Amino acid sequence: MAEPVHASPAHDEHHHEQSFWRKYIFSTDHKVIGVQYSVTGLAFLFFGFVLMMLMRWNLAYPNEPIPLIGSLLGDNRAPGGIMLPDFYNELGAMHGTIMVFLGVVPLAVGGFGNFVMPLQLGAPDMAFPRINMISYWCLFMGGVTMFASFFLPNGAAGNGWTSYSPLADIALNGQTAWLIGMIFLITSSLLGAINFITTAIQLRAPGMTWMRLPFFCWAQIVTAFLLLLAFPPLEAAGVLQLMDRVANTSFFIPEGLVVGGEVLDRSGGGSPLLWQHLFWFLAHPEVYVLILPAMGIVAEVIANNSRKPLWGYRSMVYSLIFLGFMSFIVWAHHMFITGMGSVMSTFFQTTTMIISIPSVIILSALFISLWGGSIRYNTPMLFALGFLPMFGIGGLTGLPLGLSAADIPLHDTYYVIGHFHYVVAPGTLFALFAGVYYWFPKVTGRKMNEFLGKLHFWPSLVFMNGVFFPMMIQGLNGVSRRLADGGISYDFAGEVAGLNRMMSVSAWCLALAQIPFIINFFMSIRNGEKAGRNPWNSTTVEWLAPSPAPHGNFDQPIEVVRGPYEYSVPGSDKDYVPQAEPAST
Amino acid sequence: MMDAMFPAAASEHAGRIDNMIDAVHYLMLALFIVWGVFFVYVLMRFRASRNPKADYVGVKSKMSTYGEVAVAIAEGILLLGFSIPMWAERVDEVPPDSESTVVRVVAQQFAWNVWYPGADGEFGAQDLSLIDEATNPIGLDRDSEAGADDIWTVNQLHLPVDKAAIIHLSSKDVIHSFNLPNMRIKQDTIPGISIPVWFVPTKTTAQIREETGNPDYVYEIACAQLCGNSHYSMRGFLTVHTEEEFQAWLDEEASYLTGSDDDFFDF
Amino acid sequence: MTSPPTPSLRPVLAAVLVLSSLSLAGCGDGASDGAGGDAAPAAESPPAEPLGTSAIAGVVRFDGEVPELRPLNMDADPACAAKHTEPVYPEILAVDDQAGLANVLVYVADNVPQGPYPPAEPPVIDQQGCRYTPRVAGIMVGQELKVLNSDELLHNVHSLSEVNRPFNRAMPAAIKQATFSFTDEEPAFRIKCDVHPWMSSYVGVFSHPYFAVSGPDGSFEIPGLPAGTYTIEAWHERLGTMRSGVTLLDGLTATVDLTFSLPE
Repeated sequence: MAEPVHASPAHDEHHHEQSFWRKYIFSTDHKVIGVQYSVTGLAFLFFGFVLMMLMRWNLAYPNEPIPLIGSLLGDNRAPGGIMLPDFYNELGAMHGTIMVFLGVVPLAVGGFGNFVMPLQLGAPDMAFPRINMISYWCLFMGGVTMFASFFLPNGAAGNGWTSYSPLADIALNGQTAWLIGMIFLITSSLLGAINFITTAIQLRAPGMTWMRLPFFCWAQIVTAFLLLLAFPPLEAAGVLQLMDRVANTSFFIPEGLVVGGEVLDRSGGGSPLLWQHLFWFLAHPEVYVLILPAMGIVAEVIANNSRKPLWGYRSMVYSLIFLGFMSFIVWAHHMFITGMGSVMSTFFQTTTMIISIPSVIILSALFISLWGGSIRYNTPMLFALGFLPMFGIGGLTGLPLGLSAADIPLHDTYYVIGHFHYVVAPGTLFALFAGVYYWFPKVTGRKMNEFLGKLHFWPSLVFMNGVFFPMMIQGLNGVSRRLADGGISYDFAGEVAGLNRMMSVSAWCLALAQIPFIINFFMSIRNGEKAGRNPWNSTTVEWLAPSPAPHGNFDQPIEVVRGPYEYSVPGSDKDYVPQAEPAST
Repeated sequence: MMDAMFPAAASEHAGRIDNMIDAVHYLMLALFIVWGVFFVYVLMRFRASRNPKADYVGVKSKMSTYGEVAVAIAEGILLLGFSIPMWAERVDEVPPDSESTVVRVVAQQFAWNVWYPGADGEFGAQDLSLIDEATNPIGLDRDSEAGADDIWTVNQLHLPVDKAAIIHLSSKDVIHSFNLPNMRIKQDTIPGISIPVWFVPTKTTAQIREETGNPDYVYEIACAQLCGNSHYSMRGFLTVHTEEEFQAWLDEEASYLTGSDDDFFDF
Repeated sequence: MTSPPTPSLRPVLAAVLVLSSLSLAGCGDGASDGAGGDAAPAAESPPAEPLGTSAIAGVVRFDGEVPELRPLNMDADPACAAKHTEPVYPEILAVDDQAGLANVLVYVADNVPQGPYPPAEPPVIDQQGCRYTPRVAGIMVGQELKVLNSDELLHNVHSLSEVNRPFNRAMPAAIKQATFSFTDEEPAFRIKCDVHPWMSSYVGVFSHPYFAVSGPDGSFEIPGLPAGTYTIEAWHERLGTMRSGVTLLDGLTATVDLTFSLPE
């Protein structure tokens, strides 16, 4: 299957002229595919954000018509502009699905992983360029399926991104389309994961030993293993649930269901909890799929902009591997209140506490790396620095949720929503923005505008906290998640319902704060400040390639001779020493 | 620390859960402050304009290792000292039926059917074919051995104060989650499985009204697991009585049974 | 939708939001309302005059002891309980003191005259006091069933139809009306509210307008039939179905009285 890898990059000087379709649409160049992934991911992040902004209207102003666009949504979603709870549930389920599987993963893994990792390894391309292309188009098909499901007569899936059976089995909405979409997305990730692992093992440049790998590459490798090992159970579960829906099987349906007063015409005998186990067996490692590439990006940007080596590189790598391993045996901490006995709960809360230690080590190492640095506050660095305390809050708020007794009042409340959004929104998304600003010159040959970048960062930081911090307060108050009216049906939740308006206004302002980014992004492609090969004076290998890099990546053979972060080496005349040199032969 | 945020506590174990959440938050706050102070100091002290030449080595001290060990120890204490024993108490130390009020709650889209065994203390048989949403939502077989005196209500759970309540949770259709915020009880109801939860209510509804100064205060039952389009409105009520009031309520409910033909249409 | 943006950014934001929402909105117009499926295509314009001048009329009665039912548990939702001062009893067997049985759906089951028909009055079901009024209704294929929400409460309208595509539409307090339509004939099926489980109504879908629901006194009338011999069927939610033959003479009303009793 593998295309022969160009033994010498010099071959690329005279490769045949490619058609537009081969070059930009069905390309096998990892950089083009990386850009395709990134653009798709960014577009879906934006779409998922719009879904969320609509939801936030109903939370802040339940039962009031949505201004301006409410009347455009159609009578089966928002008659008279007033959002129906079914539509709210659709928005909720699809926001989660799209942000995780079509936003962050394509951008963090498909985009950055594809574009940056081969360059950092000193490889000419991915190991399986055609599989790489198929992987992207599977994702694309999954995205189209998910998007199109909004146009089904009964709407998109609305059973939460977790799609718990039996609700998802018997729901009248677009759950079937969701499952088909998920099967595409999972297939895409599996193909990508195989490719990443093979590339990292086989295509490292001469001299690139494992302990010379940039931390970002380590993060991508561990992520690829998580995807490869955790996704197959969900793919199987997805097929089973699909069968439950279309072929009247009962994999997740127990005996004797009575729906709407009528005994359900199914044989039964299935287990609703089996779905949850299979789902979370993926979905907990998936959390680390979302966060590890982000940590990788932050590590690169911090080392570069503090002008010193990462502190504790080795312990960070070992922690990362340990984290990846442990992430497979903590999944049932999402299920404490499904009726778990004390043996199971002891096991899973203990593993959960253990997994917090490597996270603490990595985060501490990143903090400590700053000590003694000479810190440059450019836009990528601001986002990377913003990541640290925000991810810190996200990680810390995981503690009470991971302890089963403390989880009782907090489970399924806004505390959970606040917790994981701190991890993935001001956490992962900030890291991804840092990555966009940082590697943009390598993609386009131009830098993004610093002023607009800062105009993007500071309001985003403020409004992110405005959206997510009040969720903790609501959660401690016991407000359940997934309530279409934001909790005003309940007296105890009504006390803190007023916070919803502040959160919603923050969310809409957060949308405004992305406008400088969008302008900056498109403006800088043509008009940004020209960047040479190495605009950030960075050490890692990708900066030895031309910007933008040609097909085949490097215009001269390279040899890696030292570790990835040789900044401010005593006795050196420059404050950075590139990791690789042109090969001597 | 955060008591002001929690719903008013009204069960025997609620205080311990709250204390534990407090303790975890103290740990979180301590970590956040240590990291935060370090972070802000570093950002100012080591900015490029103040420190133009970076130090290749950086931190040499082992402080961070000690910090990580301290975090691990604190987590170990939370785990072994609080969470594991408290969980064991919740799921393993269920008091005997004879000393408790035993109730079944059968969840459905979107209501809580509450089922009492009646005077004989035994639940009647359940027959799904008898289910009728208006007259017999739990499918109770009145002709079964212990079924004649059983009592059921919709969304109205009544319990006596200072006596353990054991609630057997099940569901007719999808997964719901039985949430009593004031009692610090939350348990999914899984179709096909019956799961018990237990707690000791310590304040009657009258007492909590006095305490909160709110004459309309009610203990609410909330659904905490997405169960369909009206999930957000799946609201039930818990009334905690004195023992005498509870008996009076049970008697009143039982009085509706005499002469009533609620199995009239069981054909 | 948004907080006040800075003036210069406002048009950009508006455009962004509108564009991104249009994608959602576009399908809203195309998709049929509700889950009832597409309305049957209107055939040639239906005649305004009835096909005939005969009618079937009569009274449905219940023979047997009327059970004493316990009141509905309206305290399940205090907002429902507050709408009533008296206890509310289940309406599953509504018998007046003359033994007249209400809420029986009577319809021509056999030898139905050929259409096109003048349309029947489309039914309107109201949700009021946490009950459906009327409890039983008939509707023609393609007609619009209007469901009102006069309570300031969340109800959800859940159809348990088996031939037509089932629907389940939540109607929060602010939503006052929803409409549904049906594509195929179907014997009476239940439409219920899951928030208030005692709330049920029944709808039968017909290809013709020859159906009626018995009133509180048990009386019903099916007008506008041409002379001929028909079989009528009467359906009650608990007591089942009974049939009766009837011959109509031109311009006259035939009387058919029906009596339901408990099954053995």
